Amino acid sequence: MLLALSIYPLIYSVKLAAADRRNFTRLFTDRLFLTASIQTIWLTLSALSIEFLLGLALALLIDSLARGRMFFRTALLIPMLLPPVVAAVAWRLIYNPQFGVLNGTLRRLGFHTADLTWTSGESSALASVILVDVWEWTPFLFLLLSAGLQAIPPEPLEAARVDGAGAWRIFRDVTLPLLKPTIVLALLLRTMDLVRIFDQIFILTQGGPGTATETVSLYIYRTAFRFSNFGYAAAMSFVLLAATLLFSRGLLRAMRAR
Amino acid sequence: MRNAAPALFLAAFLLSCSRTPQRSLTIAVNAGVEGTALKAAAKEWGEANHARIEVVELPYANLFEKEQLDLTSRTGAYDVIMLDDPWFPRMAADLARLPRDPDSDFVSTCLEVCRNPYKTGAYLALPYVGNAQLFFYRKDLFEKYRLAAPKTWDDVLVAAKKIGEGEKMYGYVMRAAPGNAVVADFMPLLWAFGGGVMEGNRAVCNSPPAVEALRFMLELGKYSPPGYAGFNADEVSAHLLQGTAAMSINWPAWIAAMDDPAKSKVVGKIEFSQMPGERDPGVGELGAWLVAVPAGSKHAADAFDFIYWATEPAQMKQAALKGNPPTRRSIFQSPDLMAKFRSYPAQLASLESARPRPRTAEWNEIENSFGIYLSKANDGAMDPRAALNAAADSIQKILERNESATHP
Repeated sequence: MLLALSIYPLIYSVKLAAADRRNFTRLFTDRLFLTASIQTIWLTLSALSIEFLLGLALALLIDSLARGRMFFRTALLIPMLLPPVVAAVAWRLIYNPQFGVLNGTLRRLGFHTADLTWTSGESSALASVILVDVWEWTPFLFLLLSAGLQAIPPEPLEAARVDGAGAWRIFRDVTLPLLKPTIVLALLLRTMDLVRIFDQIFILTQGGPGTATETVSLYIYRTAFRFSNFGYAAAMSFVLLAATLLFSRGLLRAMRAR
Repeated sequence: MRNAAPALFLAAFLLSCSRTPQRSLTIAVNAGVEGTALKAAAKEWGEANHARIEVVELPYANLFEKEQLDLTSRTGAYDVIMLDDPWFPRMAADLARLPRDPDSDFVSTCLEVCRNPYKTGAYLALPYVGNAQLFFYRKDLFEKYRLAAPKTWDDVLVAAKKIGEGEKMYGYVMRAAPGNAVVADFMPLLWAFGGGVMEGNRAVCNSPPAVEALRFMLELGKYSPPGYAGFNADEVSAHLLQGTAAMSINWPAWIAAMDDPAKSKVVGKIEFSQMPGERDPGVGELGAWLVAVPAGSKHAADAFDFIYWATEPAQMKQAALKGNPPTRRSIFQSPDLMAKFRSYPAQLASLESARPRPRTAEWNEIENSFGIYLSKANDGAMDPRAALNAAADSIQKILERNESATHP
């Protein structure tokens, strides 16, 4: 089963990519691939940072509540339960500059919205895509970090409190180190997911305007299934895989070193 | 009697084996209005011929990739495929040749794209849906401001300015999202100004007429809603349907919605006409849907039977009643259909003069690259000349890489 579903396709894609050496040399001269790579890195780092900070803040806040934890946990999970395609379609309608609910609400509040074009603007499109990802996937980080917080035994926290440590000191020196394995796992999972982001961008912007939201996975998809150039698409996929592995390894090392 | 039982069993078994196997067809169709009629036709043909019909309905983006995979690997997964005409040059090598040439009732522009090479080669498909771009404009507002029906793009610009200012609405709306959207809205302008994308194996999309056409497009953009650089067909049509824009290039698939009170605030107010011209006569882009039989089909005889039957006048009339623009002149000119569809004269004129996208197997990649730079220019990220120079450079690389043979 493993041979049929994983190993054979992997070997086959290596064969496709290596069939023409130009598939790899072209990577260095392809401006679109370079643009897409930079944007993928930028999108991954931005979304990951925001989602992590928000997820951690929410986890700490809700963990500290005496009542209503269950309600907030359930409510926060709703965006994550939606299929990414459904969420993207909903956000496409929300972002519509003239008929969308976002600009409509801002107009009612007295804001001038003529220049707020969200996914249609060269400078705002990537930020708009990041916002959708943050909305949908912060709950995932919240869920993991929340579970991590609950797994921390109460004794070290009690001992720190008895020793007179303040809230910040307890968080920095006790909670955070104990939460580290969960943080690493959460960041790794989200990184792998963000690097291959596709659905939201495909529906929200198709990579545009221009190349403002073009990512590597979108470019791979087009190259393989629209331009029927499977060899070059396979070469790009291997570069993406290598970059993800390197990044994950770097992240693991950095976390271990601290 | 006991000895007869095995013999009877054997006879029954042999009889069941000798029965003619059930006829069957698997048909790949576009999930949209264009595919609905073919689906219904397939069902009817299946019932009449006691054949098992399986219809695989796929969204536009997936249809190409599934069909392309089936064609190149010759798996025979589909017996009949529905394909958009720009896909034809890429797929042609893996399509089966038609057993007989189509009749002359079909509009010639639709037939020409079914031949490989373009216009001169063997027929490999039959035209099923006669899509060609039309120009949509608000007749009531043109009358109010005493404007004549737009014959040139300059007329369009004057009207966009006048209506935009007078009505506090957008005088024009276009789609300029990268890829197919912006290219489809730019091509009629490019052709009207005397430009083109390629000449043989040379990219010419940065010629002076092309730069002028793009500058004109940006001028029209001043009367379009903000953010049009991210618009697709949905957004353009929403503006027309809501009465917030006065003119646009659009496809016949949206005509019905314009006159549907449940969807439109402008029922009866939109007029449909041929594309305006400028230096050259106005022509719209051809976007015909074709039906073909893959070379790998295991039921080719039945598949050909079906596509000939589905494109006969009687069947095409049924498809037209379901909302498909026909590809036969006789259907466009049928009095009862002309009474039902007021846009038919404009549609036929548009279809007869429509121009297909350049006939190259690399069109998807070229369109993607061209669209990126057109979208950048419309978004203000690049100057028109710089955008077209970059597009020409990129297209040239694609052409050289693939050594593609093109036919203008």
